[in-house]
Amino acid sequence: MIDFIIERYNFWIYVILMMIGLYAMITKRNLVKKVIGMNIFQTSIILFFISLASKRGGTLPIMKQAHGLENFPVDPSAYINPVPHVLMLTAIVVMVATLGVALAILILIYRKYGTLEEDEILKRMQ
Amino acid sequence: MIILFDLIILIFVVICAVTAITVKDLLSAVMILGAYSFFMCLLWTEMGAVDVAFTEASVSAGIGTILFIAAIIKTTRRSKD
Amino acid sequence: MKIVNLILVLCIGGFLIYGTLDMPRWGDPDSPASKHVSPRYIQKTVEETATPNMVTSILADYRGYDTLGETTVIFTAGMACILLLRNSIRKNRND
Repeated sequence: MIDFIIERYNFWIYVILMMIGLYAMITKRNLVKKVIGMNIFQTSIILFFISLASKRGGTLPIMKQAHGLENFPVDPSAYINPVPHVLMLTAIVVMVATLGVALAILILIYRKYGTLEEDEILKRMQ
Repeated sequence: MIILFDLIILIFVVICAVTAITVKDLLSAVMILGAYSFFMCLLWTEMGAVDVAFTEASVSAGIGTILFIAAIIKTTRRSKD
Repeated sequence: MKIVNLILVLCIGGFLIYGTLDMPRWGDPDSPASKHVSPRYIQKTVEETATPNMVTSILADYRGYDTLGETTVIFTAGMACILLLRNSIRKNRND
């Protein structure tokens, strides 16, 4: 039972982080709070992918032997899986690009309606 | 992969996330989000993803926080919830 | 309304936690994610790309088109920001 929890507790904590972000996105009225919730959501998904890459007994994905030893046999289980790291590097940069566009739209909304609260914006649109 | 270290940082991350969405002042929320990003960076270093960790530390905790602060200076820092 | 949202979020979280019960163990070297593509990258990276850092060799060499698409996304986001905020920049300059 203890082993079952130790092997999976971090997946449960990632789900809790995702629930916090989703709750902030659908419940909070303030638009900046919604963007913060979106950031937390994306970070929890990236954390899940990075934790899939880890191996028990593996080191960082950087070769121990340098140049000149190209034909040296390499054991794949001695290094962490590098493919999720590459995909999540792309995802982090796309996350910040999304954040920039969202904040630009938010500045325009404030300039037109004078507030960032969702219900007041809906009231002034009528 | 050190289980105790991992658990302590995960608890800090959850506390930072809950605080960032409950605090009323938007500038404080953004600062706590920057602290959240640095805890996340520490967690990834502990899992062995060093490239992802320094990308997060420079891009998400640096540029993201600066973008948030610029948007809050242009608008308002008061919030109702 | 907040209660409905909270119940919805808890339902989604419950389903996801139920899904994690079938996941491979955390840090399992024999999990399917680390058995299929990555051993070839790990074994051939020094021989084929002469780069000791595997993340760099995959990012810039094996999956270069992925990075090209990422650059397109950043360019599009920068152009969108400039087009959205262009009027305010011009107005500030005239003041």
